[in-house]
Amino acid sequence: MDCPVCKNEPMIVLELNEVEIDYCLSCKGIWLDAGELELLLGSSTETVEFLNSFTSDDITKEKTHKCPICNKKMEKILVIGNRKVRIDKCKYNHGIWFDSGELEDILGMRKLDNKNKVLTLLNDMLGKKIKE
Amino acid sequence: MWELIRANKRKSLFLFFVMGICLLVLGFFIGGAYAGDDGGFIGLFVAFGIWILMSMISYFRGDSIILMMSRAKKVSYNVHPQLFNVVEEMKLAANLPVMPDIYIIPEEAPNAFAVGKKPEYCAIAVTAGLLERLNRDELQGVIAHEMSHILNRDVLFMTFSGVLLGSIVFLSHVFLRSMWFSGGGSRFRSKSSKGGGQLQLILIVVALIMAILAPLMARLLYLAISRKREYLADASAVRLTRYPEGLACALEKISLNNYEMKTANKATAALYIANPLKPKGMKLSNLTSTHPPMDERIRILRNISHGANFIDYQNAFTSIKGKQNIIPSSGIRERKKINIRTSTAASTQTKSTKKSTRDLGDLMRAVNKYMFLSCACGLKMKLPPNFKKDKISCPRCGRENHVPIAELAAMSGMIAIDEKNDSIQNNEQVKQDSFVYNRTGKGWETFSCRCGSPKQLSPAFNKASFVCNKCGRKIEIKGP
Repeated sequence: MDCPVCKNEPMIVLELNEVEIDYCLSCKGIWLDAGELELLLGSSTETVEFLNSFTSDDITKEKTHKCPICNKKMEKILVIGNRKVRIDKCKYNHGIWFDSGELEDILGMRKLDNKNKVLTLLNDMLGKKIKE
Repeated sequence: MWELIRANKRKSLFLFFVMGICLLVLGFFIGGAYAGDDGGFIGLFVAFGIWILMSMISYFRGDSIILMMSRAKKVSYNVHPQLFNVVEEMKLAANLPVMPDIYIIPEEAPNAFAVGKKPEYCAIAVTAGLLERLNRDELQGVIAHEMSHILNRDVLFMTFSGVLLGSIVFLSHVFLRSMWFSGGGSRFRSKSSKGGGQLQLILIVVALIMAILAPLMARLLYLAISRKREYLADASAVRLTRYPEGLACALEKISLNNYEMKTANKATAALYIANPLKPKGMKLSNLTSTHPPMDERIRILRNISHGANFIDYQNAFTSIKGKQNIIPSSGIRERKKINIRTSTAASTQTKSTKKSTRDLGDLMRAVNKYMFLSCACGLKMKLPPNFKKDKISCPRCGRENHVPIAELAAMSGMIAIDEKNDSIQNNEQVKQDSFVYNRTGKGWETFSCRCGSPKQLSPAFNKASFVCNKCGRKIEIKGP
């Protein structure tokens, strides 16, 4: 699977403690497959809640990317918390693309998982210091 | 056993010829509808030509076409030792002359099929989902079922009748379409003389009816053969494994799955152990299905009580479906008692869903020639075959890891060359130069031998050492 932003740049898969992400080494973006988000968050209700909180953003001028699985244009999604984060989601539900840092931002502001276990693990995985 | 295969062949040949005659008659009437009296024989000839051509293609290239269409990948022992183990076991039980080639289809839906025109040249393909969900006993049941298809020459036969069916459908399609666009064939009618006109009109009407009915007829015949063969393969599988519960459980697990196979289609559906295409909407009648209903197959298997030979299966079958011979009489004459064995203890293990999802993903990646690197910090990196750098710095701890990139290139796409060079060089010095590889975890791991050839260890690899197939070095494996 190639990175949707860098193109022709193969993404690698990282696994730590049974959590798995697709990761681009050059732009540090993260791709989560459809089932992967559920495994990451650990429960399907939270995932559904998370996905339902999406509002699609048609007016943005940000460059669109193509889904690495079906190669069709992904739609822009706004995740609104104390800040706004704009992510790319495949219209055919193949997965979600997070630019560098976006996933951490969302996990940080939404408090999706209790005690931020996922955020801690993610930061650990990518060698970042845990933000207080 | 041999008598059984012959009886099976005879019956199938008969149905096969009925289908063939169907095709030729269709060709005759279509030809007649187009060009009058002489046209009939031209049509007959054309239909025969199409049949022969398609049969030739499917005989010589059919296997590889089917395997290619299903995106099955040939795998080596290391990718799934248990699968090889089970296939070898069943190969011995079935007295197959050679070890079949083993393919894995990187798909989540559990399913399996076999191809091969004769037992000397055959292949078994299973999906990654099947390997992940089934335990050893169940896998054995499925493999035995597929092995029986090869032994009974079902694959050859189903391919040929599939081709025949395809030809019939093709011919009638072409005819019906051309009728539609040429306005009922009036163009052809006007060309012939007045006397012939009436005859031709009749021919057109008959051809139309035939074109509509023949594909239906042929399909029903094809499906009838297909269903009967599934029962027979089930019966043979029970006989080979002596453990009906294994196959019953496997079928149960397969029928519970919600995934549809992305690579299966109507043409290849009959080959699989369970119908890979989910019926849309209501349950279709038994008449139009390539496979017998799953719950019936399971019920028959669970009803087998006394032993595992053909009579026991036939008895179980009769108690559920009523009097109907599924096993040719020669099989029934077999009096040898085959006792049912007990389940193997090792087959009772459960994994968390997360763990099994990971294992499934890793298996699919291994089949797709991914490389597995374990950094010393504990992070696992899985690199796709198109990864082109020979060094990777770990995103977690920053350590530089060597990527056996040249070897990776050899793994992706150049397997044929690789196999050619696989002869062990008889270099005494190299043979003494053994080295130790320390495993970092229990998962998939990729490393390179000193000679540069890539080695991939699967989670199930448990030997203390092995010999490199390229240079003959002994590689010792140590670690957790």
